[in-house]
Amino acid sequence: MFAKIKKRDGREVHFDDSKITDAIFKAARSVGGEDRETAMELTLGVLRMLKQQSNGQVFGVEDVQDVVEKILIEKGHAKTAKAYILYRDRRSRVRDAKGELMDVVEDIVKETDRDNANVGNSPSAKMLQIASAASRRYYLTRLIDEDYSLAHSRGDIHIHDLDFYATTCNCLQIPLEKLLKEGFNTGHGYIRPPKRPASATSLAAIILQSSQNDMFGGQSFPFFDKQIAPSMDGADEDKVYQAMEALVFNLNSMHSRAGSQVPFSSINLGTDTSEEGRGVTRNFLLAYEAGLGRGENPIFPNVIFRVKKGVSFDPQDPNYDLFQLAVRVASKRLNPTFSFMDSSFNKPYDDQVAYMGCRTRTMDNRRGPAVTTGRGNLSFTTINLPRLGIKAERNMKTFYRLLDEVTELTINQLYHRFQVQCRLKVKDLPFVMGQGMYLGSEDLKPDDSIEPAIVNGTLTVGFIGLAEMLVALTGYHHGQSKDSQQLGLEIVNYLRRKTDEACERFNLNYTLLATPAEGTCGRYVRLDRKEYGIIPGITNQEYYTNSYHIPVHFPISSFDKISLEGPYHRFCNAGHISYVEFAAPPQHNPEAVEAIIRHMAESDMGYGGINYPVDFCCNCGLQGVINEPNCPRCGSADIRRIRRITGYLSTIDRFNDGKVEELKHRLPHS
Amino acid sequence: MKIRVAGIEKESVVDGPGLRFVIFVQGCTRHCSGCHNPDTWDFYGGQEMDTGEILAQIGEGRLNRGVTFSGGEPFEQVAACALLAEQIKPLGMDIVTYSGYTFEELQTKSLADEDVKRLLEATDILVDGPFIAEERDWDLPFRGSRNQRLILVHESLAAGMAVQAE
Repeated sequence: MFAKIKKRDGREVHFDDSKITDAIFKAARSVGGEDRETAMELTLGVLRMLKQQSNGQVFGVEDVQDVVEKILIEKGHAKTAKAYILYRDRRSRVRDAKGELMDVVEDIVKETDRDNANVGNSPSAKMLQIASAASRRYYLTRLIDEDYSLAHSRGDIHIHDLDFYATTCNCLQIPLEKLLKEGFNTGHGYIRPPKRPASATSLAAIILQSSQNDMFGGQSFPFFDKQIAPSMDGADEDKVYQAMEALVFNLNSMHSRAGSQVPFSSINLGTDTSEEGRGVTRNFLLAYEAGLGRGENPIFPNVIFRVKKGVSFDPQDPNYDLFQLAVRVASKRLNPTFSFMDSSFNKPYDDQVAYMGCRTRTMDNRRGPAVTTGRGNLSFTTINLPRLGIKAERNMKTFYRLLDEVTELTINQLYHRFQVQCRLKVKDLPFVMGQGMYLGSEDLKPDDSIEPAIVNGTLTVGFIGLAEMLVALTGYHHGQSKDSQQLGLEIVNYLRRKTDEACERFNLNYTLLATPAEGTCGRYVRLDRKEYGIIPGITNQEYYTNSYHIPVHFPISSFDKISLEGPYHRFCNAGHISYVEFAAPPQHNPEAVEAIIRHMAESDMGYGGINYPVDFCCNCGLQGVINEPNCPRCGSADIRRIRRITGYLSTIDRFNDGKVEELKHRLPHS
Repeated sequence: MKIRVAGIEKESVVDGPGLRFVIFVQGCTRHCSGCHNPDTWDFYGGQEMDTGEILAQIGEGRLNRGVTFSGGEPFEQVAACALLAEQIKPLGMDIVTYSGYTFEELQTKSLADEDVKRLLEATDILVDGPFIAEERDWDLPFRGSRNQRLILVHESLAAGMAVQAE
């Protein structure tokens, strides 16, 4: 018979016909067949047909498999044939994935991927990237329904943090006061409640780190001033300052996720008017303003100052002095950002709304109390709006049909992920669930499903590139035309109605997010260019514009930008932010920053911030815009350049290509 | 009235307190070593604009606290700057003027030149004196070298001597 067969990698090996029999028998058994004899007869049929086709060449594996399919069908084994074909297809997907995966690993070993600007280049960071690539492949080829995984691979949608699809949830607003009062256990023993300010803040850092190890997204203290105030009782100003300074230092040096990155930490504060609470806010802001050891701008935590009339916003308010201090620090350090408790959608909750530094907001809750603490987003998936705009070819009926399809797909995919997450047990998230941090996890046992807790979380549909989508649909984005702005609001409102409907249908907290999209902004454009080419105003940049933002390269006054972006905040109940971009740090000009913040509040924004370049000479401490490679004061080339990326601060060398391009095009308002 | 400008910045945070509309007036004879904007020296550089056109643009800046005349040397095109400053004041905005001349020099000049007097009187804060590289200080708000002062013009004119902010 045949002596050799050519494997897929080109090697020729001994031809063993029992392997054909094995494969046929395996397929037959999967549909209920029990008879190996038949499989052997069929193998003979395969060999006969091969012989007929043979002209002396060595057959490849694929040739043989083609013949097996043909024989199975010809001999009337339709069910076995189907099973065999499906098996072949699955194997070939896995094989492709394996090949690709090895290429990815090779790239990572060369240089760490830049999807996440907060990950370093350390050995464990690379190890994490490789595991992440393998996880992504596994989930796309084995766990996730083909409809969803193809939509993701094509770039219709982007399943965020895919590498954690089945292992955990996104983010958490941490019940710090509870842990500090009762003590906690990180898995190696009980930690008792702190007695001094410095121990309280170092435990706070450990808590952030521990919960970060259980989750893939941001970790936040929703009411830091109020939550830690009891631990400051009676301490003098100096002690409180030292405690806060230690917290800032810890959060910029303490790594989690196997040593690859510091936790994505956020701190909300500003409305506690008690003496201790005010002391916390004041000293925390002062410590943040002072910066790290040589005066470097801290990268973490993200600081969110709560603005509320009657509490912190107006001169007669008890915390107005803290607001003034917050503005001063924001003028120098990029943080704090500002959350507006008086905006139409936050006001019903008094001052109880907190944000995550990446902009996430969790409030409404149909499965439990509508509170911030102990809850967070479970996962989010982002829709590629520009692609829909391009495909619709200016036909609005087509556009809405396409939008309906992809929104429906996204909602279902989020539900799939939720079901997968529900398979997790309390012991799989030992700190977050095991220590009863998540709302509804308090009474669960280690082997219980986490479902009763995570029904309190949110499932979130995000969107990116409203601007480019509007250009595709009308020729103008919302910064250029009033009609486009009207249409933009209409479409985002429509998306919100879709997620509201999903809440009813699934009895879960579906929400709409203005996606920051760190890695997605460049990936979508690359995929769309391949499909549709370079279209001016749509695919001609290296990135799609963040959510509903006005394109960063479009010249517009900050007044107009805020006025135009403001109305989108209320639709995006899963989170939103708007930025104003300055050409230089306004460090001597808090008044300018305050004017912006006040206009944001007037424009019904929920969350806003100020961006500007922060270049810092690590040698002499000069801070400002350093356009040249060396410090103009001391000549040192050791310049640390900090910018904001998707809500968090980072140094430029950690940005990915899409974000580097976006950064180059960010135009200050002039 | 025509004015030659090097450029306009509609929302600046580094040319005086608050958000400011900045007019970079073209042309300067001083040529300080280490000047931040040497392309503003040439009196034939930049572009000619109508003061009315600039005024209309200023009106659009709804968050701006005021207008800054920088340069170049605003007192080299003093008539146009004075006219603009007088038209800006009724909009409720304040005026910051940068000059290579000191306050005292400008006081003297204003005795002989009505337009200098007009611009000086319309100015709220004068950042005065030439940039001196040896006096460079990176940490000073709104100015480059230590010899330069933030002069509160109304108080100074009333007192007959330079009164500085801070």
